[in-house]
Order: sequence, then structure tokens, then C-alpha cells
Amino acid sequence: MFKNHLKIAWRSLRKQPFLSVLNTLGLAIGIAGTLLICLYIYDELTYDRMFADAERIHRINVDMKFGGPDKQVSQVSGPMAAAVLQDIPQVEQTLRFRPWGTASLSRADSKELVLENNTAFADSTLIDMLGLKVLYGNPKDALSGPNKLLLTKSAAEKHFNLSDAVGQEVVFNESQTYTVSGVIEDLPKNSFLSTYSVFMSMLSHQDQNVNWGNHNYNTFIKLKPNTDPEDIAAPLQGMVEKYLIPYAQEFFPGITLEQFEASGNYVRYSTIPLVDIHLHSNREADMSQNSDYKDIYILSFIALFLILLASINFMNLSTAYSLKRSKEVGIRKTLGSNKMTLVRQFLTESGLMTFGSMVIGIALVIVVLPYFNDLANKSIAFPYLNPVFWGILLLSVLILGLFSGSYPAFFMSRFVPIRVLKGTGENTVGGSKLRSTLVVFQFVVSVFLIIGTLVVSQQLQFIQNKDLGYEKDQVLLVNNVNRLGSELPAFKERVKSLAQVGNASLSGFLPTPSYRTDSSYFLEGKMNQESAINMQGWQVDFDYINTLGLKMQAGRTFDPSITTDSSAVIINESALAVMQMEPEEALGKRIFNGIGEEGFSHFTIVGVVKNFHFESMRNQIRPLALHIGNSSGLMAIKLKSGNFEGAIAQIQTLWDATAPGIAFDYEFMDDSFDRVYQNERRLGTIFIIFTSLSIFIACLGLFGLAAFNAQKRIKEIGVRKVLGASVSQITYRLSFDFLKLVFIAILAAVPIGWIAMDRWLQDFTYRIDIGWTVFVLAALLASGIAILTVSYQSIKAAVMNPVKSLRTE
Amino acid sequence: MLLQLKNIFKWVNSGGQRIFLLKDINLTVEEGEFISVMGPSGSGKSTLLNVIGMLDNFDEGEYHFLDESVHTLKEKHRANLYKEYIGFVFQSYHLLDDLTVYENLEMPLLYKKYRSSERKAMVADMLDRFNMVGKKDLFPAQLSGGQQQLVGVARALIAGPKLILADEPTGNLNSQQSEEIMQLFKTLNQEDGVTIIQVTHSEMNAAYGSRIINLLDGRKIGD
Repeated sequence: MFKNHLKIAWRSLRKQPFLSVLNTLGLAIGIAGTLLICLYIYDELTYDRMFADAERIHRINVDMKFGGPDKQVSQVSGPMAAAVLQDIPQVEQTLRFRPWGTASLSRADSKELVLENNTAFADSTLIDMLGLKVLYGNPKDALSGPNKLLLTKSAAEKHFNLSDAVGQEVVFNESQTYTVSGVIEDLPKNSFLSTYSVFMSMLSHQDQNVNWGNHNYNTFIKLKPNTDPEDIAAPLQGMVEKYLIPYAQEFFPGITLEQFEASGNYVRYSTIPLVDIHLHSNREADMSQNSDYKDIYILSFIALFLILLASINFMNLSTAYSLKRSKEVGIRKTLGSNKMTLVRQFLTESGLMTFGSMVIGIALVIVVLPYFNDLANKSIAFPYLNPVFWGILLLSVLILGLFSGSYPAFFMSRFVPIRVLKGTGENTVGGSKLRSTLVVFQFVVSVFLIIGTLVVSQQLQFIQNKDLGYEKDQVLLVNNVNRLGSELPAFKERVKSLAQVGNASLSGFLPTPSYRTDSSYFLEGKMNQESAINMQGWQVDFDYINTLGLKMQAGRTFDPSITTDSSAVIINESALAVMQMEPEEALGKRIFNGIGEEGFSHFTIVGVVKNFHFESMRNQIRPLALHIGNSSGLMAIKLKSGNFEGAIAQIQTLWDATAPGIAFDYEFMDDSFDRVYQNERRLGTIFIIFTSLSIFIACLGLFGLAAFNAQKRIKEIGVRKVLGASVSQITYRLSFDFLKLVFIAILAAVPIGWIAMDRWLQDFTYRIDIGWTVFVLAALLASGIAILTVSYQSIKAAVMNPVKSLRTE
Repeated sequence: MLLQLKNIFKWVNSGGQRIFLLKDINLTVEEGEFISVMGPSGSGKSTLLNVIGMLDNFDEGEYHFLDESVHTLKEKHRANLYKEYIGFVFQSYHLLDDLTVYENLEMPLLYKKYRSSERKAMVADMLDRFNMVGKKDLFPAQLSGGQQQLVGVARALIAGPKLILADEPTGNLNSQQSEEIMQLFKTLNQEDGVTIIQVTHSEMNAAYGSRIINLLDGRKIGD
């Protein structure tokens, strides 16, 4: 019987190629889209799970407030690791990282520099705690002593034959010499270390500020088996009183924890499981670019919508076209088939079609995956050999087939033989109400997704075009300028004198991702910890404000001719707000830079700069103090309009003349800026792609239904034409029914879209208001697409010669 | 006695009025009869045939088929009954277009759960008997109307029914094809003892039968 079912199924699929193609294509695209999203989500959910005992590893975080806004940081102070290992018995092992950003490596016997994007000092527990695979070298030995360094395979390959790498000497940042003590496998792309390629022994890290006051170390702990992380919460918090307060007493003699907290300040330690970091940690100084778990929810919804749309399509088309099969049902019933046999037969058909769709869908995914990886910045591999994946996939497709097929199957098997056998059977197919409802549902989803896409892209546009308070266009950022050493000031002057260059500034601190440090400042006369003002303190040079086009709110900019400006400070409006002062009031006031080994240094406020965005627009602009100083990691060069390539070439020539052998490494500031919103943009693109997919699927369904409808009413159309109706009247008549549904869908989708996207926007401190234009645009788009889809079929039916359609009766 | 209808009424309500499709029909059919039902359009011929074939319900009266009281049976049992004993032949043949001649013939056997070897033998037998062995792999669209109806009759016969119900079996055929089909019915009736009830407009076709029932407006006006 089953074989017979299969045979019939195959033949009836072939007999209605239009329907079969629409159905299969819709389902295949739905399956492919959903599968892609599922692979993506799976990848996101499995971050960092490859590490040994990953579920026992946690990172120590700190939330603190010490004047100014509160901060959530993923780093804690250097001595923390040793302290928890000693004081908290549940802690089995600790591992600290001190990320060191971009650094150059060269062989000891070569001058050729290779830049590595992400380097970090790491404790010797690195390999053991994370279970990293050491390809060459002794795992126990790897970071066990000073001047030892660990390379990933791809970093090592740039300099050595892999097998000879261990024991070789490399020069780090052209200053320190390290011995390669091990080569490890490249770090998995879905791990927090994915971008790191070089690890230096922590024992070589010369940190002057290893104290409880500076929070610079990403600190991981491995708990003993079966330890509840809750159990260590209290002792962890106890570190504040045990170590931090005694440290603070060096600066504020006699201060107690109670006094500290009474002033509204706090330091709170907590832990986050390693495996949660990727989706749930949005803290300063995270070691990798993390995702937001909310995006995962959004994507899951999109996946669900996609497959639901495809499934609804299937039901709609199958039931609509069932009248063609009603005769068959009638005959089969009179020949002795019972209902269940028919249901099984139709389910076989939909099963066959779903299976075909799955095969096409998988093929689509395999073809598209590389592009998708590119877009999403992932390296997802199709899990060809994973039996669990195939099991789940087959099971899901089976469920999908049953779900999509069951309604049409039961619908058709209910046909009463004498009714369908008697006439042409055309008026016997009901269910049009349900079909209409399903079409409405499909378009609600589509319109909702269109609204979402529009809002996301408008917000991105807003970020892109918002007055940032500084000018990021035509600004060239040159990396590693401190390599020029004493030549640097001269180099800067030479660059400035180029005709194409407007201005140039030396500073490691820029509004785009670069160095950040914050510390506590005190207004003169309020030198107690209650009045501390936590601010970013940036060292800049005299050209900084002009080069970046910052605007002054009050006072003046730095002036090289005024000698006292070496201790001048310019604050931003946010800092002013924290001080609760008017701009004029603040000018001339002195502020003291708090806790540092060198004691209290003071600055005089000479100006207030208008707020500019130096962090993501998700966050508020924080207080900032600019003062003159050397922090020359980067050089920002403002170019005049014109031939950029020529200008860059000239600068490079100057560079090569000044520092032969050192790589000239630069990028444009807008590119650097764009990276801040990489996640948003990626989400935006993914949104657009899958929205288009779902609209496409919905349109496939609409197309099929329109064709069916036109066919069903072919006699009516013929009669109307004979009686004098024009083509446009008939087209209108045929299209209107569908457009009505689309309008209902728009009405339903607008409030849902408004509420959902308003919530999404809440994450941004600086955001757009959703205007009515979004909804009008979404409505126009949806109905436009629907009209295009439907009118093709309607016009086709309307221009047909009525004699033809009436004769077939 | 094969079947007996007693005081069968069937009606529909339309605009507050009760319109009778069948009115007080009494009919006894013995095994081996060949009955022709005649009457003008709308006189209830097809309705009567559908009631006899248990494809349609009636509103009042009793219907006995063999030893069963059809009017007291549940839908499912009734369906089992007609599947077992009745074969249908339609005016427009109603062959399944997607299936070959062979497969069309085989289908009722599939539903009756015959084994594969049995099915083969029975279909081969039927093809033989109707001289269609050469056409067994053709699809209905490749056959003439007469040939299609031949397949229709063969399909109705294949599971060995006691009764064949034919609703204007020659309505779509030309005279020569009609004659062949009617001849076939006659042979089946006389040589195989199959009971046949046919609906027809044509006096000539009616003459092949042994008994004629005339209907007018749902009433039996002649037997």
C-alpha cells in the first residue's frame, strides 16, 4: 500500500508542476533559512564549551561606583587571583589575562616585523586550565618562567617551521626578547580567545600598578567539582573589606567600609560562568566581542516565523488546489477506500514533498553557508558527520511534514463522494475562510518584519549620521607611532607640513576604540572619597581638539604658548554635570587626580568641550577630562579633501624615511568607528535577508492562491467579459479580495511592530523615535508587493478570451 | 431477495418548503435482475441509485440489503457493506487519470487488502476477459471513451460485487460504443448472474434489461 501511495504521490506531484514547485520552493527556502539560523544560534550557544571543564570555570567581574557613573567591568585587580586561591577553598585554579592589544613580533635574527592583532600576558595555568592542545613543546613548561611565550599555530607559521619553533627567540614590540616555549592549535572561532594569537608569560609583565585599586586583569577561576558558584559569592565580596579597604586607607586614612558605602560608592564582585560570557557579558574590557542574548531571541523568532510561513503556505496551497483532487477522493471512496487510507495517502504526498524540500534546503544551506559565514563573521561548518544533527533534522522535517500535511489531508479526506462526483466539484471546496486567515497571518508576520527592518536600519543610519561631536571623516589613524621613539615629534611636524594634511595629533586616546583609563578626580576643597569624581582621563596633545574638530562649550583650547597649560584640563559637559556647575563657574577651578603612586597631581580647568560620543550609543556619554601628556600610541591625521591615496603615499614615504623597517600600519577613522556598531549592522543585514525571505515565501503563497482563485472564477470572468466588463475592472475585482487581507494584516501588524521595536530601541541611550513614516512605508511595501504578486494572475485571467473559458464548461 | 426499499422518502428544505426528491419508493430487487431506471431530468433517478448504493442518505423508510437493515446501520458499517457488495459505473467513467489501466483495476483490490500475487492474478484475469491486455500500461487519456468505460466496468467488477450500479453508463458514448457496453452488461447479467441497476434516458438501452422502473418527480409511476 505504501509503495502505491508513493507512486501516486510522485505522479500527482508531477501532474501539477506549478503547485509542486511553489510548494517545494517555499518549504525549501523556509527550511534553508531556518536551518541557517539554527546553525548560527547553535554556534552562539556553544561558545567556549570546548574548553576543559568549561562549566566549572567562571570569571570574576566587578561592578563599581567611585564618583561619577557606575561601571561594569570584566577585569579585577591583579592580586585578586592569588587571594581567592588562598582564601576560598572551593577555588581549584586561577588564570589571569592582561590583554596587550596589537603587538609586533620578529625573529631575533630578522628585522621583519609581523603585527599580531591580539596579544595577552597570561598565567602559566593557561594550558592546563583550559585544556589547550599543545602541538609542540612541553605543556607543563609553556609559560612557567619569565620571557616565555606561546604562539598559536598560524602565528608561529609566519616565522618558523612549526617543528623548529620551540626554543627560538622572538622580539616582542621591538624591545623584549622571548623564547617560544610552545605552539598551540589555533583557538576555536567560537571562543573568547578566538582573536588571540600570542600569549606572554605573566612573569614578564612589568606592571607598576599591581594593587587592589587598579582593575586590569581578566581573572578566571576553576571551581572544585560540584561547587555552587553561589557558595563563593559571600567570601568573594569579603575581599573588599579584607584587601580593598586596607589599600584605600593608604590614601584616605582611617576609612571604613561603612563610610565608603555610606557615600554612595561601592565595589561589588560577582562571577559569571565562562560559557555565559559570550551572550550575557556586556562589560568594559571584555576580551572578545560578545553578542547579546536578546539577538538570539530575535533570531529564534525569525526562524520560527520563517518555518511557520512556509508551512502555512503549504497548507494553503494544498487545500486550495484540492478541488482538482476532489474527484479522485470521491472515486477512491466509492471504490472502497476509507478515510484513514486517504489521510495516509495525502500525508505520504506531503511527506514526499517535505523531504524533497529538505534536500533542496540542505543544498541551499551548503551553497550559501560560506557567504553567510562571511556576513555573520562566523566559521560555521555544515555538520555533515554529526548523527545528532541529522537525527534532529530528520525528526523536525518529519514533524514539519506531518504538521503541514495533516490539515490538507484531513480536509480532503472529508469530501463526500456523491457531491464531488456529480458536478464539476468546483463549489464543493470550502475552507476559504481558514485560508484567508492564514494569508492574513503570513502578512502580519511579513509586515512586522518589514517594520523591524526599517527601524533597525533607521537607527543604524541615525548612528551613522548623528552629530558625534567630532569629525571622523577624512581622518587617518596611524598605528604604533611610538616605535618612532625620539623621532616622533619631528615626524609629526613633517606630516603636518604636507599640503594635503590639515592637522595631526598624537594621542592613544581617540573617540573610536582605543586606549581608555579612568581614575578618580577631586575638586579642590573636596578632597574626600565621598566627593570623588570618576572620569576618563585622556592624555592628548595641543593639536588634538582641532584635528578631531571638537567644539568648545566654554573657555579655551590648549595653547602651546601658555606654559602653564601643561597642567591645564578640559572637561566635557558630562563631567560638568557631575560637578553640578555652570560652565563659567568651572573655569579656573582646580581638580586633583586621585589615587596614584605619584600622589596628587592637580589641573586647572581651562575649557569645557561639548560632549562627543566616544562610546557606543547604547551608553550615555561619560565624564571626561583631557590634559596634555604623552600617550602616543596613535597618530590622527586630518586630511584635506582630494587625493587621499596620494596623501597616504606621501605620509608613508615620510614614515619609511624616518623608521626604515617598521611597518606602516594605518586605517581610516570611520572604519574604526564602524567596528563599534558591527554587531548592530550584522543584525541589521541578517534581519533584511530573512525578512526578504519571509516576504518571498508569503508571496509564493499569495501567487499560488491568486492563480487558484482566478482559475476557480474563470467562468464568472468569462460571463462578465461577455457582458462587457473591461480588463481593468476584472483585474481589480480579482485582486481586491487579496488586498483586503493584506490591509487587515497591516492593521494588525502595526501595533505589534511598534511595541516590539520600541522595546528594542530602549537599549540605545541615543535613539530615533519611530515615526509614522515607518508604518506607511511598511504598509506601502507590503501592499505593493502583494499587488504585484496578485495582479499578474488576475490580469492573466482577465485578458483571456471568454469563449475559451465558457466553452470548457 | 437482494435488496428491498420500503416507503423511502428523501427531501430537502428550501425556503420553508419541503421538496421531495424521493417520495414513498417501494422496490424489491431479486438477485440476477437487470433493472433500468428511467424518467425525465430531475425525476430522482440518480438519487435513487445513490440511495441504493448507500452513497446518499434518505430521510424516512426502511432499506434492507441482504440480511442487513441499512437504515439502522452506522455510516462506517454501511460503507463496509457497499464496498463489499456493490460496484459503481459512472457516466464520465471517473477513472483516476494518474493511474494506468492496470493500476486503475488494481485499486479496489488494494483497498480490500488482497495480497500482491492475488491482485496480479485478478487484474490479469480481468484484462484478459475484456481484451485489454495490450492497453494495460496506457493512461485513461490515451483511451477512447468506450475503452475508458470498459475499464470503468472492469474496475467495478473486479472485486466480484453482487450488484452493479451504473448511472447513465453510456451517456458520454456514441451509439456503437453504447451498444458494446450494453451488450457487456447483458452478458454479465445472464452469464455471470450479476445484478445490475442502471439509470438511462434511452429506451434502447432500457430494453437490454429485464425490468424498467419509471420515475417522475421522485415517485415511482411504473414498474
